[in-house]
Amino acid sequence: MAEHSEITASLRAFQEGYNKNKRLKKMNADWDRVVLVEANDIPSRHTLILRKGELTIQEGSPENPDIKIISDSETLADMFYGDITPTQPYLNGTLKVLGTEDDVVRLDFISLMIWGE
Amino acid sequence: MNLKKVLTLRTIVATSAGLTLATSTFVAAVQVAGFLTGNAAWLAILTSGLLCFLAAACFSELNGQLPSAAGIRLYFGRAFNDNLALVISLFYMVVIMGIVGAESFILARVLSYAVPAIPPLVWIIVMFVIAAWVNIRGVKIAGNFQDIITYGLMLSIILLAVLAFGKINFRLENLTVVGGPGNLIQAVALGVFLFVGFEWVTPLAEESTDTKLISKGMLIAVGLLSIVYALFTVAVTSTVPKEALGHSVIPHLLFAENLLGKTGVIWMTIICLGASITTFNAGLLSVSRFLYASAREHVLPTCLSKVSFKYFTPWAAILTIFFVGLAISIIVLITKRYLIFVNLAAAMESLIYVLAGLAVIKLRQKIPAAQRPYTIPGGLILPGLTVVVFAVLLATVLITDKIAGLCLAVGLFLSWIYVINGVPVLRERHRKKHPARRRRPVKVELEEQ
Repeated sequence: MAEHSEITASLRAFQEGYNKNKRLKKMNADWDRVVLVEANDIPSRHTLILRKGELTIQEGSPENPDIKIISDSETLADMFYGDITPTQPYLNGTLKVLGTEDDVVRLDFISLMIWGE
Repeated sequence: MNLKKVLTLRTIVATSAGLTLATSTFVAAVQVAGFLTGNAAWLAILTSGLLCFLAAACFSELNGQLPSAAGIRLYFGRAFNDNLALVISLFYMVVIMGIVGAESFILARVLSYAVPAIPPLVWIIVMFVIAAWVNIRGVKIAGNFQDIITYGLMLSIILLAVLAFGKINFRLENLTVVGGPGNLIQAVALGVFLFVGFEWVTPLAEESTDTKLISKGMLIAVGLLSIVYALFTVAVTSTVPKEALGHSVIPHLLFAENLLGKTGVIWMTIICLGASITTFNAGLLSVSRFLYASAREHVLPTCLSKVSFKYFTPWAAILTIFFVGLAISIIVLITKRYLIFVNLAAAMESLIYVLAGLAVIKLRQKIPAAQRPYTIPGGLILPGLTVVVFAVLLATVLITDKIAGLCLAVGLFLSWIYVINGVPVLRERHRKKHPARRRRPVKVELEEQ
């Protein structure tokens, strides 16, 4: 079981990877989304905010997210560090991504662009 | 903490029914009537619909327990094992491409009948190019537009049926003459094709906050479709002689022409276009997303996971389907054996319903304490009945159309060979190319810091 601080650190690593990628920022310039990242085995909630291509992270949960990412703390930490792809936990049901299909594909694509295959 | 965008029950019903309503289902409905001596197709169709309620109940329980766009891949993987789930999912995608091929062939024949100057091949190419372009551009059928298309289509078909009943001074004659139980079972087995795809709405579970809405939507859609198809088939077989219908690829068009002349042809052509848009688009969308996800987990070649930088759509997967679908359509156009795909789809769908019933039973045994927003009442009776009923229907389809049976057996065998031998090779190749790396600091290091 990962700790809340590990999930926070993984999200910071994800944010760093994202912000380094100018192409990705440009591509998401018109994709404003609020994403809730929630662990289902420990009390841990974070909010990712994508606004005009910039990604910021906040502790806690938003009121009306566009997308919800729910999984166990280990999977969340591994996934945001890019040690595992989101596809595998998604297909075996460990990872739940609630949102429109387009948003789900785009999130997966962002992860692919940051961490590679 | 609710999601901003959530689907309404109206749109869920429209999506489930819209995915199922297709030009090929009108042809299949008339084929159902062909098995029966009287005008009792409605009986077979309502029975098929009633049986699909069983399958819908199984999908509702599975979807409630495991709400995910991964659908059968996840349900069967959890209930049985990942290899079986992969074998079934891979071949199911091939069958969907076959349906898209048959659908485009029938629609092309309809359009050629309405506009004889343009040959069917041109229509097929035009349809595939438009569908691929729309999918690569990421243009989506909006919920409200889906509602208008589906409910408009259903109302339109009911109206045509009522007009037909009025014109022929409809009487309740021969409405229960089936010509023997064997004929009825054959008709019911093919009748399952009329509902192929109603469960494709389950991936929308992730766009809805209440999974119960998906279950309710599926059941309402199956009920509405049963009524629409039953009315339509009785109207067609009452208006046009059976001999003329049996050998035609466009029986629904003959019906409309018989009823309203040129206006009827135009009306039915619009209905067919509307019915095909949603099915065609859904087929391309679901298969392309499946190919993309499979390539991402190294089950299929990695090149299929390429995504457009501009539109965020899996263009390589879409183009692959474009070429495969086009090839299937041209084969169907040359051989005219579209019914093989219809029967193959009915058989595959029955097999999936059998496995869905078994998955419900298996998951209840494996994870009895799992959260289930919806549980099929009556213990194991209804899931068990689903398994038995659809196993019988599967056997019936395979006996009726031996070529479709052979295609199913060969397809599943090849899929199994691929999963056992091909997938490990792809995964090994990926492992060698991208050796395992760990960016996440191990806990010991964290504690030391």
